[in-house]
Amino acid sequence: MRDVPDEIDSRDVPRRIFDSCGDQTIVLSTHALTKDFKNLRAVDSLDLSVCRGDIYGFLGPNGAGKTTTIRLIFGLTYPTTGYAQILDYRLPERRQEALRHVGGFVDDPMFYGNMTARRNLRMLGRMNGEVSEERITEVLEMVGLSDRGRSKVGSYSHGMRQRLGIALALIHNPDLVVLDEPTSGLDPQGMKDVRELIRQLGRQGTTVFLSSHLLHEVELVCNRAAIMRKGRVVVQGPVSELRPSANAVKVLTGDQGRALEVLRGLVGTGGVREDEEYLVIQGDEELVPEAVRRLVADRIDVLAVVPAIEQGLEDMFLELTAREEERGRA
Amino acid sequence: MSHLRREFVKILFQKRTYFGWAGLFLIPWLITIAMRLSNEGPPPPDQGGPEFVFLITSNGLYVALASLFALVNFLLPLLASMSGSQTIAGEAENGTLRTVLMQPVRRGALLMAKWFIANVYIAIGLIILLVSALAAGGAFFGFDRMMLFSGQTVSVGHGIGLICVAYLFAFLAMATVVSLAVTFSTLTNSGLTAVAAALVLVIVMLVLGGFSVFDFLEPYLFTSHFDAWVNFFQSPIEWAPIGEALLNFAVWIVGLTTVAWLIFRRKDILS
Repeated sequence: MRDVPDEIDSRDVPRRIFDSCGDQTIVLSTHALTKDFKNLRAVDSLDLSVCRGDIYGFLGPNGAGKTTTIRLIFGLTYPTTGYAQILDYRLPERRQEALRHVGGFVDDPMFYGNMTARRNLRMLGRMNGEVSEERITEVLEMVGLSDRGRSKVGSYSHGMRQRLGIALALIHNPDLVVLDEPTSGLDPQGMKDVRELIRQLGRQGTTVFLSSHLLHEVELVCNRAAIMRKGRVVVQGPVSELRPSANAVKVLTGDQGRALEVLRGLVGTGGVREDEEYLVIQGDEELVPEAVRRLVADRIDVLAVVPAIEQGLEDMFLELTAREEERGRA
Repeated sequence: MSHLRREFVKILFQKRTYFGWAGLFLIPWLITIAMRLSNEGPPPPDQGGPEFVFLITSNGLYVALASLFALVNFLLPLLASMSGSQTIAGEAENGTLRTVLMQPVRRGALLMAKWFIANVYIAIGLIILLVSALAAGGAFFGFDRMMLFSGQTVSVGHGIGLICVAYLFAFLAMATVVSLAVTFSTLTNSGLTAVAAALVLVIVMLVLGGFSVFDFLEPYLFTSHFDAWVNFFQSPIEWAPIGEALLNFAVWIVGLTTVAWLIFRRKDILS
């Protein structure tokens, strides 16, 4: 028996808000990509398309299947069914040709600890063609490791290895850079630097596929994103369209139970949810005065109305799912 | 940079490489010094000692054979297991296997390069052992015409030639252990597990070969042929047991390496 999550069947909701590249080249795509491990389905019928020039966020909580997907993209694991494709090269059949166009890392980037960073870059980089010493210097400068290039990688911190992983990813100026949680383990300045580097890659026309569990990070650097949960993509599209809480307010009343019923009557079941002591209303700004009027008309004391500024990824996922289910019922 | 060169550079950057080679360099000197200092000399053949060990103090050439005899069933298989197990499992354990396989390389070619360099490591070790043994033997006991096991004597040059051939034979024997370790290496993400698995199997084969009740298995066990090099020191050379041994090694090497290749080509890299 497969252990497939059954409380939410994403096949029942429209998964693609936006998935076309129009006239642009599709650099990376997956087609019903599925990966089973014994009795666990880690990736389930995944359809993604990443267009040239995209900085594509791949969001999901831990265990969502992001890293497994990236392993499939790099041909490290074999799909159970379906396939991934990089430019015109389908994996795993044309893995070698495909990987000539990709750089990146999965999980923590690991190197030969008893060799210097420069030797690691030279040795690993030359598996994909010639690498000049000037290029090694250049990529080390890009990631802020130029002064540690001759140190053994064994002496590096986790954050420095992350940076070296990015340097290796960039060494051949690939069409696609795939980064798995690139800011994990970095200090705030390091995170800022890496995000700026990713934005810079985007400006240069490099396509970036960025896996993260940080919504904030994806919002800061990505133009498109997919949200994944339990092996499935819930939604994908432009970041601006994905975030449902851009227009949301939190309401605190004297009777939250009755208030919930009143607000559901106004915005529907998927438009309001409980969040600790608050009720979160999803909708345009014009909705707020009407919601307050309804509550007051029903003799419910309105104690506070505050903007819902920040939302966790899990909250966002739950909200999106509720919204899609509401649409499905309608 | 070719796979072979890269894999060779990698082993040169590992400390354990030099520990292994240092052990192979030291052991002939220890044997020689022990024989020199010992008043009693080695145990005579009728008390369990091999005949040629008894001859060491009269001719330094026998140090090379004594060293080979002493190590072919223990230290050399241990080093061969270590060398083979690091190819895939060692790199998987360190996390570097995925870094390598994210580059556009053919898995089969990479495995073959790793297998080859693991064998090169053993070949270099055997050369170190041979040179060290000849140096130690020559320094302490000098070289003289060599008496073969069949009683005839040959010149020093002929004797050294036969010793080189015996070491080449031992290399092929160890290549089977390397191939075994490489196969286990494709089945696990732990270098230590692969070493242990390969060594345990070698020891099991040695034990099976030690009991007459298992004689029917003996032709098939590669460990039963480890000592077949002694047949080079007969006049005329006894080619039949040497040929059987080489065929046995070839079957094991090709069989095991093919299995490793088939496994590695389709292996999910999860380390």
